[in-house]
Amino acid sequence: MAERLRADLVLEYPFTRTTGPVIGAFLTGLREGIILGIRRPDETVLCPPTEYDPESSVPLTDLVEVGPGGELMSWTWVDPPRAQSPWDQPHGLGLIRLDGADTPMVHGLLVDGPDQLSVGMRVTARWRPEREGHIADLEGFVPEGADQ
Amino acid sequence: MAERTAVLGVGQTKYQTTRGDVSLPGLVREAAYRALEDAELGWDDIDAVVVGKAPDFFEGVMQPELFLAEALGAVGKPLLRVHTAGSVGGSTAVVAASLVQAGIHRRVLTLGFEKQSESNATWALSLPQPFSVSINAGAGGYFSPIIRQYMARTNAPELIGCMVAFKDRQHALRNPYAHLQQQDLTFDQVVESPMLWEPIRFSETCPSSDGACALVLGDEAAGDASTKPVAWIHGAALRSEANNFPGRDEVNPQASRDCADDVFAQAGITDRRGEIDEVEIYVPFSWYEPMWLESLGFCEIGDGWKLVEEGATHLDGGDLPVNCSGGVLSSNPIGASGMIRFAEAALQVRGMAGDHQVDGARKAFGHAYGGGAQYYAMWIVGSDKPTS
Repeated sequence: MAERLRADLVLEYPFTRTTGPVIGAFLTGLREGIILGIRRPDETVLCPPTEYDPESSVPLTDLVEVGPGGELMSWTWVDPPRAQSPWDQPHGLGLIRLDGADTPMVHGLLVDGPDQLSVGMRVTARWRPEREGHIADLEGFVPEGADQ
Repeated sequence: MAERTAVLGVGQTKYQTTRGDVSLPGLVREAAYRALEDAELGWDDIDAVVVGKAPDFFEGVMQPELFLAEALGAVGKPLLRVHTAGSVGGSTAVVAASLVQAGIHRRVLTLGFEKQSESNATWALSLPQPFSVSINAGAGGYFSPIIRQYMARTNAPELIGCMVAFKDRQHALRNPYAHLQQQDLTFDQVVESPMLWEPIRFSETCPSSDGACALVLGDEAAGDASTKPVAWIHGAALRSEANNFPGRDEVNPQASRDCADDVFAQAGITDRRGEIDEVEIYVPFSWYEPMWLESLGFCEIGDGWKLVEEGATHLDGGDLPVNCSGGVLSSNPIGASGMIRFAEAALQVRGMAGDHQVDGARKAFGHAYGGGAQYYAMWIVGSDKPTS
């Protein structure tokens, strides 16, 4: 009888990444506790920022501070989180349009249950005390006033 | 009949160990922008974009062509990715040309890139495979036995490889884009450099480079409308074979010979050495210059090393100058390296190669190979429009 072969395969390498002037500034801003978007020629603001305009491809350079408050545009509830999740407690995932930005970004919603979430509600950033220039420096978003 | 196709513009970044000032999108943008500028065209003039790079594992960005669409002005346009390992820059240019030759698009932007500073090619080329044993040889370990077989077949003198390496490094001094700029290098230093994979010495290997190279290709009307000289494509061919099968000639693979026969026939060239004015061959390890000169039919089998020895491939005084740009031995952003060969051939016949220009070059040959010497891409470009 034919034997089925089985083999483990582990690939591992410490890649590096050069972030460039726009993503680099965004990550540096997170380390400093501010969120940066970027202004397009039509005056709308993208957050997170991109180096090149997503429609016309022109280079974008006009970084502007946005948030930390914003509007929840859509959400879903995650319970229980999977092992790879950045959050170990049940949480929401939302599309958050930060004040001053015209596009939403995805991030975690740190509330106790889905009954605390609704489209259109105001949320605000919760920062980690120790920051290193990574998207996870933003621990997540909470209802406005929750951290007061 | 295929639409006549021309290289309208060439864009290169300076090749160097680390481009820490730009992201991947910023790197490809620089080359693409320079190619458009050279072609005196804008993003809106481009109908489609064709991108090539070495395997995704090199930088660990999967399907980077999608991530780079905005930087390359490809949003809303056809965007193709080509995969043929180290030959990919050449294959990508051939695929891009075919879109114009077939009458599908009028102007195509094509680009190859690599950011080796964010990756490790030897690691990526030696990944373990399930149910097999990796010898972890990297490219040098793979090719050195093949080179030894060539030396045994032809009785080539031992220092031919060093002569190629020294020549290409001298050529690189005349190309501002070339990575290695070794002003004070001597032939003796090449000979005395550490032996890595016998017979390949350290100085006979290519560097690891960051860089991108882009071409703008256009149809006959676009070529005619250009205010600058263009390079007309006289032939373009691709061939592949498995890297391991019984009876395979690894020194002079059939796919290489067949690809060469095809591209020279397309160009109507019968006297290969006599009719080609400049050759850009993919030479990541020095000995591949004489090996490919034979396989490509620029000389008889067994005579490649003699061309090197008599200086026939040197920009100064050679009748068949090879790699006047400095070649892969002087700059190796892997995914771009093949396209750089094709681009440099185009610059030569446009008379725009600067200090490494071959006087009066009318026809030039661009070449790339990849994998276990199993993927081939070649083109011939000329100052004049092809007659057929």
